[in-house]
Amino acid sequence: MSAPRLIFDIAGAAAVVFAAILVVHRNPIKGLLAAVVSLFAIAGEFVLLSSPFLAAIQVIVYAGAILVLFLFVLMLLNLDREAGPEEGHRMQKLLGFVAIVLFAGMMLAAVRSSGALAGSSGEPAPTGEVVPLAAALFSQAALPFEAVSILLLAALVGAFVLARRDSAPRPPEERP
Amino acid sequence: MSAVPLTHVLAVAVALFSLGLAGALLRRNAITIFLSIEIMLNAANLALVGYGAHVGGYSGQIVAFFAIAVAAAEAAVGLAIFVSVFRHNETIDVNKIRLLKW
Repeated sequence: MSAPRLIFDIAGAAAVVFAAILVVHRNPIKGLLAAVVSLFAIAGEFVLLSSPFLAAIQVIVYAGAILVLFLFVLMLLNLDREAGPEEGHRMQKLLGFVAIVLFAGMMLAAVRSSGALAGSSGEPAPTGEVVPLAAALFSQAALPFEAVSILLLAALVGAFVLARRDSAPRPPEERP
Repeated sequence: MSAVPLTHVLAVAVALFSLGLAGALLRRNAITIFLSIEIMLNAANLALVGYGAHVGGYSGQIVAFFAIAVAAAEAAVGLAIFVSVFRHNETIDVNKIRLLKW
């Protein structure tokens, strides 16, 4: 077994284990920190799949920006007082569990039967250099790139409008 | 063709996606559900990058790049919605939020 393959398996196991901690842990802040570790492990896998640029994006944007945003919102909401046991609809949980098991089994069967079928496209394999990626990004994907910038602007304005506190609360009957 | 076999990449992606699905279906805290959805998005990104490294070309990386950008926008808007809902209801337990229900 080659070294990259071994490292990939270790990183994959770490990502899966910490994602499981996120799902199982009762404290949302500890779950969030487990998610950070899981995303870092996925960034390591990106490096091994010869895409270091995406690994950097993953660390900076995902583990850095998005999860810090989550942490800030958790801090603002101050959820400590509802840390009690999560009672829920038992039937719903049971059916959800069955759905997950069925889904995972189906996907693993699909991977086992068709994972090796993907042939080469004839294009050269990515070498990990950023220059060809940038050339492809700004030529064949230039329009989606600009659309994403508009989307991010719209999300910025929308988040501001949604989370803003009204300076003078209106009386209830005037609310739509 | 990279040093890592495609089957391993897809197995990790399936495991991560299933765990994210489990979190989204079984947890009741809205922020944990949202984090589980982020894990599912990352599993999809991992599959995209794995196929990109296996098949050749940069299309997989480009799609994963856009997925990360859209996930950032989604996180900003979603968390703003949670702040707004919490201000209105004093909870983000999804069993107790019944805005659309009489």
